[in-house]
Amino acid sequence: MKYLDYSLTEIIDLLNSGQVTSQELVRECFDRIKETQDLNALNSTYFDEAMKRAGEIDAARARGENVGALGGVPVVLKDNINYLGTRTTCASKFLENFVSPYTATCASKLHDAGAVIIAKANMDEFAMGSSNENSAFGAVRNPVDTSRVPGGSSGGSACTVAARQCFASLGTDTGGSIREPASFCGVVGIKPTYGRVSRYGVVAFASSLDQVGPLTRTVKDNALMLNVIAGADDMDMTASKVAVPDYLADIDKGVKGLKIGVAKQFFSDKLSGDVRTALEQAIEWYKEAGAEIVTVDLPSLDTALAVYYVISSAEAASNLARFDGVKYGVRAENYADVVDLYFKSRTQGFGKEVKRRIMLGNYVLSSGYYDAFYRKAKRVQKVIRNEFSEALKMCDCLISPTTATTAFKLGEKSGDHVAMYLTDIFTVPVNIASVPAISLPCGKDGQGLPIGMQLIGKHFDEATLYRVANAFETAHKEDK
Amino acid sequence: MSWNTVIGLEVHSELNTRTKCFCGCKNEFGNKPNTNCCPVCTAMPGALPVLNRDAVERAILMGLAVGCRINNYSVFERKNYFYPDLCKAYQISQLEYPLCVGGGLEIELEDGTKKFIRLNRIHLEEDAGKLIHSARGTMIDYNRGGVPLIEIVSEPDMSSAEEAVAYLEKLRSTLLYVGVSDCKMQEGSIRFDVNISVNRDGEPLGTRTELKNLNSFRAVLRAIKYESNRQIEELEAGHPIIQETRRWDDEKGKTYSMRTKEDSQDYRYFPDPDLIPLEVTNEYIESIRAKLPKLAPQRVTEYIAMGLTEQDALLITQERAYADFFENVLSYFNEPKFVCNWITAEVFKKLNALEVDDRKITVQPKDLAEMLRLYKDGEINQAGARKIFDVLWDGGTEPSKLVESLGLKQMNDTGALTEVLQKIVADNPKAVAELKAGNEKTMAFFVGQAMRATQGKANPKLVGEIVKELIK
Amino acid sequence: MSITIEDVKKLAKLSRLEFTEAETAEFVAELEATLAQVDAINKVDVSNVDLLEKTINADTELRADEIKQSLTAAEIVANAPDAQDGAFLVPVTVAEE
Repeated sequence: MKYLDYSLTEIIDLLNSGQVTSQELVRECFDRIKETQDLNALNSTYFDEAMKRAGEIDAARARGENVGALGGVPVVLKDNINYLGTRTTCASKFLENFVSPYTATCASKLHDAGAVIIAKANMDEFAMGSSNENSAFGAVRNPVDTSRVPGGSSGGSACTVAARQCFASLGTDTGGSIREPASFCGVVGIKPTYGRVSRYGVVAFASSLDQVGPLTRTVKDNALMLNVIAGADDMDMTASKVAVPDYLADIDKGVKGLKIGVAKQFFSDKLSGDVRTALEQAIEWYKEAGAEIVTVDLPSLDTALAVYYVISSAEAASNLARFDGVKYGVRAENYADVVDLYFKSRTQGFGKEVKRRIMLGNYVLSSGYYDAFYRKAKRVQKVIRNEFSEALKMCDCLISPTTATTAFKLGEKSGDHVAMYLTDIFTVPVNIASVPAISLPCGKDGQGLPIGMQLIGKHFDEATLYRVANAFETAHKEDK
Repeated sequence: MSWNTVIGLEVHSELNTRTKCFCGCKNEFGNKPNTNCCPVCTAMPGALPVLNRDAVERAILMGLAVGCRINNYSVFERKNYFYPDLCKAYQISQLEYPLCVGGGLEIELEDGTKKFIRLNRIHLEEDAGKLIHSARGTMIDYNRGGVPLIEIVSEPDMSSAEEAVAYLEKLRSTLLYVGVSDCKMQEGSIRFDVNISVNRDGEPLGTRTELKNLNSFRAVLRAIKYESNRQIEELEAGHPIIQETRRWDDEKGKTYSMRTKEDSQDYRYFPDPDLIPLEVTNEYIESIRAKLPKLAPQRVTEYIAMGLTEQDALLITQERAYADFFENVLSYFNEPKFVCNWITAEVFKKLNALEVDDRKITVQPKDLAEMLRLYKDGEINQAGARKIFDVLWDGGTEPSKLVESLGLKQMNDTGALTEVLQKIVADNPKAVAELKAGNEKTMAFFVGQAMRATQGKANPKLVGEIVKELIK
Repeated sequence: MSITIEDVKKLAKLSRLEFTEAETAEFVAELEATLAQVDAINKVDVSNVDLLEKTINADTELRADEIKQSLTAAEIVANAPDAQDGAFLVPVTVAEE
């Protein structure tokens, strides 16, 4: 375990200075994966391919060639990101044997930057869930306390980074699926502005809300990863052409003179004592560090969850209709005709939560209900979006808890989907408003479980989030 | 009280872009299954659509040609339903905010009167794949899946099968003029759905049925006639008409119920979040308008100015291919009336013998121009011209050489012709008497005899003159 | 919002999903609970919200009509549960949708 405790930025320096090779790192990662396999963080691993690629990068580096910003670093993709020739299961029985015929843009950007993709991370089936208990391949465990959930849906992506199985991972976030597990596992995760990272090749849950983002152990690592994956894409019309800055450029500039907004709606009575205390301390720290704390108002915040359930389920119902047993995935064994084939394949292939969302989605889209639900929700979304824009005019970013509580026990909420949905109350509004938000550790609760704080930024202003987050992280390094 | 038939048409026309509507795969007919396919057009998980600019331009071009208003803001929506030819289980289409609205086409009825058929809208959408039936089951080929289509929806402005067909002919002609679609019925690149209802004079509109599987103008004609009769018979027998979709069986000449409204689909349309709303500025629309080719009405005016009759001008502009051909021939041989006469008589005779899809002019404009010049200059006669035209139609070229090789040079030698005709006049006293009595038609007999005697080479005009001289 | 067994059956059909009687009954309760939550959207005044948004200019943002390499038919059907001659295969379909 010589190198796995280094951060991504540190390990790149060691690689570049020849103190370690990519192959050594890959080997160490796989040793660690084996040791910690009870976490169930990964759905598939590629040791041989990773060693081969690491060897190629080591050789290229030895020849003095440019091996890219991530040259030789082992990384993990969430199992809903296509990577040519690998299985992409979305943790669904339906796609158990699906082998990607193409590569997602974010994965090819990582590859082109020299990253070595070593595995695909477990997740909630089709990214639907907040605990990673909805995986067809078993729940993922929280590496901090294995009796607890790692959060979801990118639970495997957060777990694999927290457990030091790799140096960084990619997750996807539709209503908090990067930030909530980052918070529960004590790592850094960003949900970039909608459109900042291409969605091409990422299996869609809710197309208008989904974003890809990195999970890392430090803020700088995260900025480096976003530097690589962000940007426009000919294959995704929703990927923005807004120029991508260097997210590391201003990261050390501190918070002096910045305004940080606090909305009372984020500090409701649902917040646990330890989380509230940690957040108040963080706000106090920022004040001391020279930031100005301003009060803002987000009056419709508590309706965001309702909006989210209508829009995300509607889009999911349509997005998941292609899983019909005809072109790929499982096909039921006994069926009377093609219609029966659809019914049986989908019924057997999808898990409970996925079916629940499909049913809700079709309800809100169906004839007679569309205006009352879908169209109404789209309108409320616009109201929420405007409120965020107004609030963010008064400050550089907003601060909030990432989740109301720390990681809960496996099975604790699995019987109560409404309680589970409430886990996302602070993260969901961010997706509804399409703004970026980062979650980073801000202390521990009485049981030693990580607490996460969320910084919410203006559209395409991830740079400020990294700067504000990095200031806090740098000052609190010793606390870890 | 008599019955009225009310007909509206939905026409689907594939656009002739190079690539599909939402991905870079070839838009091409007739390839092996799934060879023009990629993750996007086979709905691989994670693939996303990216809209083809030329598909948008072609749709707008057609909209402008038929007087639509082009919406500055239009939205692509998902039409959700499960069927094996629809790989995403939704079709990307437009519903609430279509690209083009309004507009219309003027058709000419049998009696020469004109009627304006209003359009409701033209919207852009994607085609579905194709199902091929085999011994083991249904094979699915997504080559056609994702090919751009425009759906042209008329108002229910037609009141007979003949009007519906006249509208379709005009629409097809316009699509070809604008050059946005190949309109090949046999390849399915243009398809028709008919909405039809009947009602008695002064009564409100009846319940409509929708007819599908109409693959030719003839099928449309027959299906509408059948269906309106069926509806009238049902109503006269006291049975209500059920709102339903009915399939036309061309062999049996009947329509059959496919599904009723009760079990009709709930398509759950909603805006496709993968495709941002399409915004087109007025400047952009105008830049497309500038690309609009000259359409039939403008050409009719020009041709009349050249000296063609209105009837000829209308005839020759009924398809862009004919008008273009006419203009091409004129660029080599500028005798509008003479060229037009040949095209409307001889070229159209050839074309009309073919199926609509196969009507292609196979003569090079330059060759026809040369042949017509030879004819006009008297180097060949009409019979010779026709013989050469036959050869040119079947792929021959260089009419002057054909004159030689086929021995068609016209006999303009007065002396030789007089010799031939003296014998004919001597052998046919009865005909001579008739001609003398003033029956001009008898001249045709002498021309025919002269042609036979000269293997068709005699100059008929000269023959006439000589005969008149001989019988004086 | 009250949901009936019939509603759930209709939705299941639209969704191409099959449920046992017990699951169907469970869904009635679940959907009602979720819709009660979703009712929050009715608290917000949206009377002044226009859903049309300015976005992009077709001229600058759309894809040029240029051919890109397709996959091979073998690659397209590589994940297919059943295929024949490069085509996906399903049991015989009857009525057209």
